[in-house]
Amino acid sequence: MFLCLDCGTTVAGPHFATNPDRLLCGRAQNGNAGVTELNQIDLRALAVGSKRTWDAFVVASTPLINAVVRRALATYRLSEDDVMDAAQDVFVRLCANDFRLLKTYDPARAGLSTWLAVVSRSTAVDYARRRRQAATPIDDVPEAALAVEDRHVEKLKIPEGLLTERQTLILKCLYDEERDVAEVAQLLKIDAQTVRSTHHKALLRLREHFRGEEP
Amino acid sequence: MSTERTPLSDKDLWRSLATDQVAPTAVSEMDFAAWLEGRLSEADAARIDVAVSANPEMRRAALELSDILGKPLPAPPPRLAVRAQALVGFEAEKRAGRGSWLASLLPAFGQGFALQRGALAGMAIVVAAVGFTLGGGLGESYATQKYAMKQPSNGVTLSKPLGRDTTNELNDLFVDAT
Repeated sequence: MFLCLDCGTTVAGPHFATNPDRLLCGRAQNGNAGVTELNQIDLRALAVGSKRTWDAFVVASTPLINAVVRRALATYRLSEDDVMDAAQDVFVRLCANDFRLLKTYDPARAGLSTWLAVVSRSTAVDYARRRRQAATPIDDVPEAALAVEDRHVEKLKIPEGLLTERQTLILKCLYDEERDVAEVAQLLKIDAQTVRSTHHKALLRLREHFRGEEP
Repeated sequence: MSTERTPLSDKDLWRSLATDQVAPTAVSEMDFAAWLEGRLSEADAARIDVAVSANPEMRRAALELSDILGKPLPAPPPRLAVRAQALVGFEAEKRAGRGSWLASLLPAFGQGFALQRGALAGMAIVVAAVGFTLGGGLGESYATQKYAMKQPSNGVTLSKPLGRDTTNELNDLFVDAT
């Protein structure tokens, strides 16, 4: 029995093939059918350039690449054609130089879908930056993006070792990125309660250290 | 009027602190994927935690990807797959299938081009066979020739078949003259 992370229902069954930490019920798994197919791709045949394997890989990976690229470009306000071109860039990157990038993938370290999502996002961001550099006149850039931070506002430095790396990351996700506890828990593969208690302990340490120095 | 200071909220306290002291470090795509899946050792994960904490772009990437990978994916536009499939074509397949020199001499069955060549060769054979049959065929031609040698025609007996070499032509001349 496990609790589906997608819809919250309790289900009996095997773990999600791509990522043992992500437990999804049948309904959620059906939605990720492409991801499951992706894990059945013969990577050796793909890396030697088999046309049939490449076609199957494209069919299985297109939903994921499309979703990642679309999301990454959403903040750049680019057109649908740009989404298509950026997604095509991902595939070009994968098969360029005799599939060099694809050959660097190590199945022992991460699932193909996760690695592909990381590659897709970085390719999409590179694409957006190139497009912005080439096309955006200075007048179209929001003023906030060009603003320089006022360095006269003195900020207290957090002494090294006061917070753990994990505590710092959780506080940054919660406050700098303004994400909720559930999102941070999903990212770090921990319980929401663990996020809350880590956050609480980190703030106790900070308050204790900076007592009387708070601006 | 109270002189007691109002304590800062958790968020304000955090924002009043300088938190970007660590220089961002480069993280490979493979390491980042392994970190996202929680597959790294504690020490390796801490290294990526530092990098993600220090780099707002990496934080946003991590949160976005974690969200996408945990949800059903929308259907992509069909032309996306069509364009991507066109990137790897016949040449790559041919290179992949190359085994020995003998294998390279044999036609590669199952590929479109080989099938086309086979069909053309078959059609050529059919056309040749039909033409040959209509023209009488080799057997019939030989039988006619043999029959002509044995049968007396206008009192003239051909002792040898009509040939193309000079000797036969002269022989034919003498035979005709008699």
